[in-house]
Amino acid sequence: MSTRDKVSIIGAGNVGATAAYYIAEKVIADIVMVDVEAGMTRAKALDFLHAGPMRGYDVPIVGTSDYAQIAGSNVVVITAGIPRKPGMDRMDLLKVNAEIVKQAARAITDYAPNAVVIVVSNPLDIMCHVALRATGLALRRVIGMAGILDATRFRYFVAEHLGCALASVHAMVLGGHGDQMVPMPRLTTVGGVPITDLMDAATVARLVDRTRKGGAEIVALLKTGSAYYAPAASVAEMVEAVITDRKHLAPCAAYLRGEYGIDDLFIGVPLVLGHNGVEKIVELELAEDERQQLLASAAAVRKGVEELNTFFRPT
Amino acid sequence: MKRIGIIGSGNVGTNTAFFIAENRTAHVTLVDCKEGVAGGKSLDLMEAGPVREYSTSIRGSHRLDEIAGSDIVIIAAGRVRKPGERREDLYRDNSANVRGIAAEIRRLAPKAVVINIVEPIDLITLLVQETLGIDRARVLGVGGLLSSTRIRYLVSQALGVSPREVTGLVIGPHHPSMVFLRDSIRVSGIPAATLLGEARLSELIEEARSAGDTILQLAQRSTSYYAPSAAAATLVDAIVRDTRALLPVSVRCEGEYGVRGIAIGVPAYVGAQGVVRILEIKLTEPERTAFERATAELHAAHKQIAAPAV
Repeated sequence: MSTRDKVSIIGAGNVGATAAYYIAEKVIADIVMVDVEAGMTRAKALDFLHAGPMRGYDVPIVGTSDYAQIAGSNVVVITAGIPRKPGMDRMDLLKVNAEIVKQAARAITDYAPNAVVIVVSNPLDIMCHVALRATGLALRRVIGMAGILDATRFRYFVAEHLGCALASVHAMVLGGHGDQMVPMPRLTTVGGVPITDLMDAATVARLVDRTRKGGAEIVALLKTGSAYYAPAASVAEMVEAVITDRKHLAPCAAYLRGEYGIDDLFIGVPLVLGHNGVEKIVELELAEDERQQLLASAAAVRKGVEELNTFFRPT
Repeated sequence: MKRIGIIGSGNVGTNTAFFIAENRTAHVTLVDCKEGVAGGKSLDLMEAGPVREYSTSIRGSHRLDEIAGSDIVIIAAGRVRKPGERREDLYRDNSANVRGIAAEIRRLAPKAVVINIVEPIDLITLLVQETLGIDRARVLGVGGLLSSTRIRYLVSQALGVSPREVTGLVIGPHHPSMVFLRDSIRVSGIPAATLLGEARLSELIEEARSAGDTILQLAQRSTSYYAPSAAAATLVDAIVRDTRALLPVSVRCEGEYGVRGIAIGVPAYVGAQGVVRILEIKLTEPERTAFERATAELHAAHKQIAAPAV
């Protein structure tokens, strides 16, 4: 097996392809994009390679529809899925995407059983369950991309409001990747100073609300389509943490077994990302209202998982 | 592209030029009074450019005139501290030279933002500001940022996490009496005390407080210079790109934190004009007490050195 690190991305739509681009720029791994549309995927890979001489990355980038190409990957990212179409109800979408994710997950079992799997397809927390069940991978090797994205949006909104450097702002967001996510203002800081000391409560509330609706704000502007730069950048951040064993403490969706009083559920919590995937789940002491919000968010995710179970027998 | 003048091509001055080049931030002119030294080091750095892929220029000279028109001037010309040396004694040796340099900066680069890395940081930073007679926001000393990066490193090592998400602010003099703001020491927003325990965090703070001495003892003949140079390059980046990063710097206070008339380490947003704004954070009672004691000592040292020689 090659000694070079390898990242595969299943689904070469906007999120998948842009993630491939960000990862290429980091020059940390060979890249494979897999998509049912073979020509489009090959074209995107070739286009990226043509830009390499100027951008200074020199990693191989392959575009293919053949799952066998993911063999030996250290990390596999599942971005495949369809956006909701007009007239489609939530459950229809869930079923279609669950099928797609299940197929991708089985390919990972077949070709890259030692990979760390990063799930991006929506509804995120539920698709993590589908991926975990279909792969039969170790629990700590399946991680959902959500908290880093929600936190990067929160960080941007704080920096924009204060007119300070993005790099000085750190943020924490817990819970499911949806309206019921739990942004944590007391753990969101400028250089370590909580934003609750830097702005009034009404402003904090406004930024929290904008964070919760961050994805929807982009959808409303684009009309046809959803965000992909920030999601792809979040994927690249996670991939880098795994490949380089960076031990990056950040919020991601992980499978909980009793942590935070939540069992048998994927939900966003702070964790340490490294070579083995989830290296450690960090259990924060929560205030009562924060705990209630997290449990409410968990209940919403659990409802989705149970709905899905009525259509799919767990494998 | 902005131009940076660095005065002093010792380890700190040269490595600052090195980090600026690697950041691809700006063109650098490195000046040293010893003929040939700055020229040699600049040439060495430029010859590394093709493989390191930077294309900014680094020029060396022994003539201070070469910094004329610089956007930022970094003062790194002074001797380093000896083990156990009092800041008053070090000041006596470094101040005369720096006073002359500051007068030249006023003539050659009157619009520059000036960064001081000469020790004792706070006293020399004040001397530079007074000699230049410019807006206090435009004279910054590298002090707290260095201690900040050290506590961030130590916390990341103790927890086995990446240092990039670790924050930590330090205020007060660049001296063992500096005050670490415990609540600001966090990982991705999570207070380090909750992850490490209060006792372990206290140990790491003491380690960071004496980190400069530790390096001096290990390296014997030289003081640390990579971390100080990196701190200076970070300030340069914030100024050149006007990022308004929140960084602890030594700057002359006029009422902030109850301090007046001396330069001391405080958290500040740093941008194109130097200090954009000093951020006043509520201190805990022990922090307030420690800060006031350290400030009083610095005032006393300032008074002593300012007194005419007998």
